[in-house]
Amino acid sequence: MEEDLKIGVYLCHCGVNIAGVIDMDELEEFTKTLPNVNLVRQYKFMCSDTGQSMIKDDIKEGLVNRVVVAACSPRMHEPTFRRAIESAGMNKFLFSQANIREHSSWISMKDKEGASRIAKDHIRMQVAKVSKLESLQPQKVKVTPNALVIGGGIAGINAALDLAEQNFHVYLVEKTATIGGHMAQLDKTFPTMDCSACILTPKMVDVNQHENITLMAYSEVDNVEGYVGNFKVTVRQKARYVDTEKCTGCGNCAEECPVTVPNEFDLGLSLRKAAYLPFPQAVPGYYTIDMDHCIKCGICADPSVCEPDAIRYDDKDKFVKLDIGTIIVATGFDPFDPTALKEYGYEKYDNVITSMQMERLLSSYGPTLGKPVRPSDLTAPHSIAFIQCVGSRDFHPGRGHKYCSRVCCMYAMKQARQYMEKHPDAKIYIFYMDIRAFGKGYEEFYEIASREYGIMFIRGRLSEVYEDPKDKGIWLRGEDTLLQVPVEIKVDMVVLSVGIEARDDSDKIASLLSIQKTEDGFFMEAHPKLRPVDTLTDGIFIAGVSQGPKDIPDAVAQAKGAASSAAALMAKGEVEIEPYFAVIDEAICTGCKACNSMCPFGAITFDKISGISVINPAKCKGCGTCVAACPFGAIAQNHFKEEQLDVIIRSVLKEGGVY
Amino acid sequence: MHKNLSHEEITPPEYSFYLGCVIPNRYPFVEQATRNVLNELGVRLKDMQGASCCPAPGVFRSFDIPTWLAIGARNIAIAEENNADLVTMCNGCYGTLIDVDHQLKTDEKKRTFVNNHLVKIDKKFKGSIKVKHLAEVLYMDLGMDKIRDSVTRLLGGLKCAVHYGCHLTKPSAIRPWGGETEDPRFFDELVEVIGCESTDYKDKHMCCGAGGGVRSAIKEVSLDFTRHKLEMMREAGAECIVVMCPFCMLQLDLGQIEVNSIFKDEISAPFAIPVFYYTQLLGLAMGMHPNDLGLVKHHNLKGVPPFVDQEPILSRIFKELGYDYKQLQKQSVKTES
Amino acid sequence: MEYIKRNRIDKISAKISEEIVKDDLELIRACYQCGTCTGSCPSGRRTALRTRAVIRKALLGLDQVLDDPDIWLCSTCYTCFERCPRQVPVTDIIIKLRNLATQKGRILAPHKSLTHLLIDTGHGVPINDKKWNDLRESYDLDPVPPTVHKYPSAVKEVQTLVKSLGFDKLVEYKPPVNTNSKKDEKPEKKEEKATRKGRKSKIKK
Repeated sequence: MEEDLKIGVYLCHCGVNIAGVIDMDELEEFTKTLPNVNLVRQYKFMCSDTGQSMIKDDIKEGLVNRVVVAACSPRMHEPTFRRAIESAGMNKFLFSQANIREHSSWISMKDKEGASRIAKDHIRMQVAKVSKLESLQPQKVKVTPNALVIGGGIAGINAALDLAEQNFHVYLVEKTATIGGHMAQLDKTFPTMDCSACILTPKMVDVNQHENITLMAYSEVDNVEGYVGNFKVTVRQKARYVDTEKCTGCGNCAEECPVTVPNEFDLGLSLRKAAYLPFPQAVPGYYTIDMDHCIKCGICADPSVCEPDAIRYDDKDKFVKLDIGTIIVATGFDPFDPTALKEYGYEKYDNVITSMQMERLLSSYGPTLGKPVRPSDLTAPHSIAFIQCVGSRDFHPGRGHKYCSRVCCMYAMKQARQYMEKHPDAKIYIFYMDIRAFGKGYEEFYEIASREYGIMFIRGRLSEVYEDPKDKGIWLRGEDTLLQVPVEIKVDMVVLSVGIEARDDSDKIASLLSIQKTEDGFFMEAHPKLRPVDTLTDGIFIAGVSQGPKDIPDAVAQAKGAASSAAALMAKGEVEIEPYFAVIDEAICTGCKACNSMCPFGAITFDKISGISVINPAKCKGCGTCVAACPFGAIAQNHFKEEQLDVIIRSVLKEGGVY
Repeated sequence: MHKNLSHEEITPPEYSFYLGCVIPNRYPFVEQATRNVLNELGVRLKDMQGASCCPAPGVFRSFDIPTWLAIGARNIAIAEENNADLVTMCNGCYGTLIDVDHQLKTDEKKRTFVNNHLVKIDKKFKGSIKVKHLAEVLYMDLGMDKIRDSVTRLLGGLKCAVHYGCHLTKPSAIRPWGGETEDPRFFDELVEVIGCESTDYKDKHMCCGAGGGVRSAIKEVSLDFTRHKLEMMREAGAECIVVMCPFCMLQLDLGQIEVNSIFKDEISAPFAIPVFYYTQLLGLAMGMHPNDLGLVKHHNLKGVPPFVDQEPILSRIFKELGYDYKQLQKQSVKTES
Repeated sequence: MEYIKRNRIDKISAKISEEIVKDDLELIRACYQCGTCTGSCPSGRRTALRTRAVIRKALLGLDQVLDDPDIWLCSTCYTCFERCPRQVPVTDIIIKLRNLATQKGRILAPHKSLTHLLIDTGHGVPINDKKWNDLRESYDLDPVPPTVHKYPSAVKEVQTLVKSLGFDKLVEYKPPVNTNSKKDEKPEKKEEKATRKGRKSKIKK
């Protein structure tokens, strides 16, 4: 026996966000005219304690048994209101939220009347819908206490260690042969000038030695299935052609290998062998054979070279299946390739290099053992110009990215200071638009760079360079915008302060994990302010530069945040998921199996005994594909049943609404 | 002239031949060379009867954009009446006509505005044809293979300073060169395919100085651009300058005489680098007769282009090709059939 | 006293930038004053033209930008626009500023005569001496090109457009004795009729 519908509609002002555009009293009068509406209230902030109490009290007093809140996006506060309703003893699924902020007052700010009409339609639709909603029981699923961390840079390392310390098992998957990421390529870190390797390598060793961490270097995530708490992940362990059980890291193979190729770790400034260790402190410390270049001469496999007999030319990729509860994505970034900005002469002129190359030249274990030289004649440059914003703050498609990369001002000053420490007489120019020294201790760092080091800051974005063919010096053209005078000066070497961009394989990662990217190419957080490490896919978190440009302190902070969020899920041991799964009406199903192959999650099986199809609610993600596929209309999806949708459409069509 | 009839059955490519001002009225040998070369390449040219100044983008657009749009649209309308894409030999005309064409094709308000004026002279901009620079016709429409196949003799590694000129490549968004403006190669390829060497020189893509109304109003400024370009070309050892714009040609040709006088205290030596329009050299490589390419002077007129003497360099090239410059000069136009 | 300079900006307005924005050039407001344009400018290397400053003055609505000769020193090479990280159409903005300057009567004298040539002949660079006809002939070309020069009615068309758009008034064009237009009430009207040739000979000197 159906009880009488008593719908309560709560209109939220959201400060001036809604009430500043829409006439709330008029909206209240309108809402009162809708069918089955028992009560309409308005309040400044419905999400506040007071606002929630209004709803709870009305439920408790028996004034309402269905609730519609007309406020912001349900993405923001649906859980808030559901919790309130549940605490008042009502089934929380008998609730619906009308989005009259993002979908009405915000988008029609300049057209108040239009905003009001749209708001009315949204309320009309949700009132209609809530009248047809049914009570549902939320589902609980177990969370496997294993985390997958993708990416072994400083963010991934920190996330992995934090989770491991909390006794969760962590699988750290790293694409390259070693963990450490870009930070391993850096010499010193701003603003404290600590040695990058000195603070990074202990962490790398910790990862390798931690009993709760399974380090899977030279591996890539191949496939991800399942859902929060219950992901099935396949990892491809790429063939190293070296038996890691036997390799002692002695390095004889590399020493004897006759094949040399440009060393990517040094950005082509040095050579490595086809059998190689990326850098001396690499973790894990196994050697790898680069089969793209190996000529299989057999020298390294000779017992006199590899005593432990670790070389395996016939090694194959291995696929490992993992049960995972939560995933943290920390895939990092690519440095911007400045080749497209031809006026800067990168790859055309020897003495134009990128900041990553400069970093390697400054590194004590870099190609010049920390004594930077210019490529054309291997002498120490007497003058260097750093060019800022290369590939950043550029709205020209193909020539860069719109955003600020957030680290270049600081690293340019850092590199300049480092160089001046070795060559106090060197002339250093930094061509900049704005110096962005916003972090802790950064402005002070900038002040010292000017006052103590005498670095010459020229406020102007560089226009073009050309080479002096006689001595390979580089002429720079730009404007000193403060003096309003064109500048044409010559330096021995140019360092392009290249920005940061999303990894070239970030699309692949996004589609593997069903997570979103923002317009700038980085992974999208669930909320830019309040859910910065979450994604819109439950159980998957993001950390470090893969979410957007940031420096090391911020990357680490975010990694620790992501680890904490992942740990919270796993510590609880179970997670509630919305019961929006599809249900097959056994009386109607003919067992035609049309739905079985349509399900993208493999949730539908055919039950031979009863002769009908069955849906596994734990696997069903509520996508609705089977509902549409069933030729007999035997499948309905909870909370999205045909009559629940139908009534929404009818409510607007009948009234001739905007939509 | 001997005409090679194409054995292909397809109709020959057809273009509306837009002359502009500087070529027909000052550098007519460019018109002669281009007409003959395109003809030889199997292209049919339809004259644009009554076409006016484009009008020049640096000056007339600067004074009144609506007037510039309307007169430009009138010229395009003539090509539309010809029912053939428009080809121009001038970067300036190209700058105007492709911009006007683009604006009127993409902006209905502007099109209506312009057509409301054009109706008074019984014309209409329909947007039915494309505006092309000669370089695009050669490099893309006919294609490098066709050009390569038509070359019968190479020009002996003549060191050419290629000058693209600004509006051939910029603004790149409405040009066919894939957005390349810092280091385009197509003109160099066209020069190399006829056996010349494209000599790299500093500030190769810098403006000659003539555009934007600078030459007409503040000549010494425009010539200071030219002085710099000439110095860079000379430093790089260029034997001649190759252009595909008559206004750049005028600036780099007549400009040398002017630079030699205005900047005589600043330059190490007077300039005398001959300037050629590309089709003049292309025709030569295609085996055409110098007399058909405007390469030989047949008059005693004073104060007419080319201002920089081309004879020394041409004598050398002609010798390799079996001509004698003096001899050719003696043949009068009339007696040549 | 020569050291006392009381220069200051005492009025900032959007009146110039609004004119520019109206012409689909709203990207002028995106300018962040980086100087890429000035540093790329071949004119700025030898003149007082500072494209960045031109944009700045226009944004602040300083009349000086229309009065100074700087905007006339741009050779419209478009290098600035191609490199501008904010895609500000610097060249097109300068052209628009020149339009506004022309409306203020700031057109340069040689430019003004050029407009009169165009209105008289339809060519910016016309054949104004027989030697050019002879030169054409020496290259086996029709002494008169198939342009406006060959079709008097075409010149009239250009003139009709010019009048229709008010361009003649803008550039203070005074027609020479003109048989084609009866409506003309200019002083020259009294002079005896001249053929097109007569007008051409006038230009010649």
